[in-house]
Amino acid sequence: MLKIENLHVNAADRPVLKGLSLEMKAGEVHAIMGPNGSGKSTLSYVLAGRDGYEVTDGKVEFMGQDLLAMEPEDRAALGLFLAFQYPVEIPGVSTTTFLKTAINAVRKKRGEKELEPAQFLKLQKQKIQQLGMDPEMMKRGVNVGFSGGEKKRNEVLQMAMLAPKLAIMDETDSGLDIDALKVVSEGVNALRGPESSFLVITHYQRLLDYIKPDIVHVLANGKIQKTGGPELALLLEEKGYADFYDATEAA
Amino acid sequence: MMATTAAGTFMAQAPQVAAAMPWLADAAALQNDKAVGWIKALRATGAEAFAQTGLPTVAWEGWQYTNLRALAAAKFRYSTDPVKFDAAKIPGNLLGTHRVVLVNGQYQAKLSNLPDHVTVMSLMEAAEKNVTGIEEQLVTLGDLAKTPMTALNAAYVRDGFVLVVAKNRDVAEPIEVVFFNAGRDAAIYPRVMYRLGENAGCTVIERHCGEGAYFANTYASITLESAARMRFYRFQEESDAGFHASNTIVQQHKDSSFEGFSLATGGKLARQEFRLQLIDRAISSSIGGTYLMKGQQSHDFTVLADHFEPDGKSVQHFKGVVDDQARAVYQGKIHVRRAAQKTDGYQSHHALLLSPTAEASAKPELEIYADDVKCSHGATAGQLNPEAIFYLRSRGIPHDLARSLMVESFLGGAIEKVSDQALRDIYLSRVSAWLAGRGA
Repeated sequence: MLKIENLHVNAADRPVLKGLSLEMKAGEVHAIMGPNGSGKSTLSYVLAGRDGYEVTDGKVEFMGQDLLAMEPEDRAALGLFLAFQYPVEIPGVSTTTFLKTAINAVRKKRGEKELEPAQFLKLQKQKIQQLGMDPEMMKRGVNVGFSGGEKKRNEVLQMAMLAPKLAIMDETDSGLDIDALKVVSEGVNALRGPESSFLVITHYQRLLDYIKPDIVHVLANGKIQKTGGPELALLLEEKGYADFYDATEAA
Repeated sequence: MMATTAAGTFMAQAPQVAAAMPWLADAAALQNDKAVGWIKALRATGAEAFAQTGLPTVAWEGWQYTNLRALAAAKFRYSTDPVKFDAAKIPGNLLGTHRVVLVNGQYQAKLSNLPDHVTVMSLMEAAEKNVTGIEEQLVTLGDLAKTPMTALNAAYVRDGFVLVVAKNRDVAEPIEVVFFNAGRDAAIYPRVMYRLGENAGCTVIERHCGEGAYFANTYASITLESAARMRFYRFQEESDAGFHASNTIVQQHKDSSFEGFSLATGGKLARQEFRLQLIDRAISSSIGGTYLMKGQQSHDFTVLADHFEPDGKSVQHFKGVVDDQARAVYQGKIHVRRAAQKTDGYQSHHALLLSPTAEASAKPELEIYADDVKCSHGATAGQLNPEAIFYLRSRGIPHDLARSLMVESFLGGAIEKVSDQALRDIYLSRVSAWLAGRGA
């Protein structure tokens, strides 16, 4: 489903990813853990297609297609979703308008029929109930005046509405208290299934208590340094990332 | 021969500007008609004033940002001949059936259709009948030496119309006024009077449009008597080669309210001036607008809210987008005179630049002589936020649509102040059409 091979990426002319390789199968949940500055956010932005990153080597295949050659909107239509670490505020565009435009744009691109307003509202109502969100928020500008927790919940709402094949969660736990973390995690867990994969990027093990990964990778110095099962996350929690810095420096 | 007469009649006292003369070439001939005395005097005063100034240059106060070089280089001629036109080209009503049609400023009675309690006639007929208030409203107030466009319009006062709403009458259906300009390098100088009697109410929709090249310089005087209410919605959709200058003076009496809004998408070069005169107590006056400019277009909104007496409220709310090499200007002033205590004044202008070569200039001004007032203003110019665009695209929204959504929401912030729902929808659809036309 996702295959990253020897990915090298520069940000502001500085190498950040230096030969990252990773493979995910449909339905799997992978966690990428790493210290600050290891390239976690760069990886998520490069996969989503944000400007400002230069791929100098390597390739990424998603659903059998060359992901890096595609526009961000085409990646979304193909089933890629990035839950932002810092969701953007868009004054003047209501959350409902935004969601409706996004869903119908994706459906159109996939050759599906656009949702009738009533169908859309029904779906939206169902999802906001599941996430315990206030329906009034849907009338406000996207993320405008939302608390940190509300913004993350809004990310999960968008994810639930768009039903992606691969959701990349960039530090979704940052800035969340334990209650918000639970709600967000439950929202994610409800979306798990044989066709839905998750790439959970985090600094801390805490999130992985709620979203249980199948596979854990350690990212440091622009490369996957180690891959293992959930126990690897616990080991990191205990020992920190120091060992991996040593490994990369030696390399 | 006429030119000689013009020189002899109008330009006795002060030195003249040579560049002004071609603009006045057709003015003298006009004086052979049977117009009433004050009209003839007005023409003479206008021509005399314009002869001494010519078109304003960027050295003029209030004209720093709008360069009339392209207009000065063009040749437009005024004619009293009945204009030939294809009626099929005149746009139909946006709403309802009531309309006033002008072609090259000439009132077309046969194409017009008015509701009860509303009187409309050509300016010359109204002058002859001495309609209440006409001389007071149409003999320009103020210093013509400082308002050359108004002076030039005065030199040619003949075309245009008068619209009067009887007191205590609330006209429910809007009246559309179509200023259709039939091109052919015509200079067009309509002078228009709107008068709403005591406690009268109406909605006027002005549409400025046309084909080919022309210069339309309109002077409109609006008087709202006590407790009158007017909604005034304008569409400046002049042709690509058209020049537009309009001066709209709104004189408001006690307890009256005025709500104006103008959408500007047309013209090669356009300037709309509004002067709101709150001459009595407890007046509410608002003017808003939106411009969408592309290519080499240039547009200028210049607004003055002038508070004479206490308890007045004025609002100026403008937002616009500029693309390509287009230029936009907003000059807004709130003038609070000594007696105008408890004035509440607000002005804002926000511009969105869609291209690195687009330009927006803003000059917000407060001039306050009373000590107990509340006045504020805000002005910004910026670009579409690339983070927001990426966020939208990452959710599957194509780039063009993301940009359109951002522009629509930006301008929506100004259009939402229009209190008439039907007009609001029309304005929003104009924005969408503009965005679709430029391929977002």
